[in-house]
Amino acid sequence: MPAKVKENIFSTIIIEMRNDLELDAIIEDYLLGKLNPQETEAFETLRSNDATVDHKVVSHKFFLESMEMYAAQLRLKEQLNQIHAEIDVETLASSFRPHPSKVVQLWRKHKSAIAVAASFLVLSLVSVYSIQHNSKQKEQLVLLSNQVNKAIKTQNNLIRKINNNSSSAGKPAIQNSFGGTGFAISTNGYILTNLHVINGADSLYVQNNKGESFKVKSIYTDSQNDIAILKISDKNFSHLSSIPYSIKKSTSSIGETVYTLGYPKDDAVLGEGYVSSKNGFIGDTTQYQVSIPVNPGNSGGPLLDNNGNLVGIISGKPDQTEGAAFAIKSKYILEAMRAIPQDSLGSNKLSSSTKKSLLSGLKRTKQIEKLQDYVFMIKVYN
Amino acid sequence: MNNSLKSSVPTDREVILGILNNSEDTLNKLYKAYYPMVLQFILNNNGDEDDAKDVYQEAIIVLYNKIKEGNFELSSKLKTYIYSVCRRIWLKKLSHNSKKAGNITDYEDVLIVEEDLEDHEGKDLQFVKMQSALDHLGEPCKTIIQDFYIHNLSMQDICEKFGYTNTDNAKTQKYKCLQRLKKIFFQP
Repeated sequence: MPAKVKENIFSTIIIEMRNDLELDAIIEDYLLGKLNPQETEAFETLRSNDATVDHKVVSHKFFLESMEMYAAQLRLKEQLNQIHAEIDVETLASSFRPHPSKVVQLWRKHKSAIAVAASFLVLSLVSVYSIQHNSKQKEQLVLLSNQVNKAIKTQNNLIRKINNNSSSAGKPAIQNSFGGTGFAISTNGYILTNLHVINGADSLYVQNNKGESFKVKSIYTDSQNDIAILKISDKNFSHLSSIPYSIKKSTSSIGETVYTLGYPKDDAVLGEGYVSSKNGFIGDTTQYQVSIPVNPGNSGGPLLDNNGNLVGIISGKPDQTEGAAFAIKSKYILEAMRAIPQDSLGSNKLSSSTKKSLLSGLKRTKQIEKLQDYVFMIKVYN
Repeated sequence: MNNSLKSSVPTDREVILGILNNSEDTLNKLYKAYYPMVLQFILNNNGDEDDAKDVYQEAIIVLYNKIKEGNFELSSKLKTYIYSVCRRIWLKKLSHNSKKAGNITDYEDVLIVEEDLEDHEGKDLQFVKMQSALDHLGEPCKTIIQDFYIHNLSMQDICEKFGYTNTDNAKTQKYKCLQRLKKIFFQP
């Protein structure tokens, strides 16, 4: 018996659905003017008597109009794309692009003007004196290049030695530990940091802002760009909620306000400043120079702009310039993320900034509140 | 009298009449006439060729819809109008990507086109909504609906294309798909 009851209910549902579909069909024919006069009249009577039917007609009309607009727009876009394909964009573009040779030409023009001025000067001076002057200039140049060489040797990596008391105590070294900073690039426990932070490690741990430690493994290293990706391999680790920052694909301009959160001590420290140069250590184009006070332990920390876009990774600082630091540009983060198996990061990973990040429009204090769950202290034991 | 070189750039009146009469030739000429100007502007203001294409096409759509609505008054040169719309769209995109847009290099006079763009953004929202509804629909529904409403295929064509035994079956399927699409589309 119950089976039969079921069957009955089922068939009424089907009939209702069928009627619904037929009603939709009639409404569409009515709106498109496909009904004959009698049918139209009959339908209009039904419509004026039944508020539900009337509502359906109104909503279907709106829907059809939206669809018509959508279709028209789509056709127009297709048409524009066809026209666009006929244009030789490459040739046009090369004629408009700000041309480097133009800059060079300007410089040359400038130079000749200087040369004229200089020759004027030379004429008014004793020739021997001018030769001396020239040789002096050369010497200065050499000196400068020497300084550059020195600078190469003295770039500091910002790793922090946490306890190195064993050597001072004269006991055999039991355990040395170093620290740096890292940040989450996916919700399932992938963390990105500098390679120099974890180089030569025997065991690696990360610690979050609540003080919980998790064991991590190194998954991927890129020695050229000084990037390493770690994976939390601890079963006590619970997934993070979605990553609040996104990767900035374009390069940042000089003067853009940026900040970083890192672990130069056992608590997270905020450093704020601005991009001070588009290139890093002696013209290294893979890095920015930023004006942020950083300390050992800041290495591997995320560098963000006001809208929560990831601009780079703090990686080092020059020895002789106070208050400056270097940061690896964000596009190398993307490259590193592409280098590991895509499905391992899960669906909820760090993405490039096509839409606004969750941090966008928030005050700095709120941004930090959100950010701090995603920035980790890296603890290295060797 | 007209210079033969200039004949490729349509006059502003030609463009408006051509668009009102659905002339493909006019659209083609219009597009090619002002594209280089916009490309130059974008390339010299932190953008690339793809940005130029997106921005320019959006501006052409704004102009096209405005002419079609019949309330386009030619108070300035069409060139200036297109340039101003592109400039506004590009500035907005730049600030969206938190790039500095302080010193824009300009090549033309600039009009205030805020209202037109607000109109357009409202329409674009509807467009995106329909597109995402269709994307969520799944196959074969998506193709059936697109064939019928966008490519204007008849039920007979659709029936044959999808191998339904008769048009009634195809129709039932279409209305089932339509019902689902409407449900997704009207979701708040």
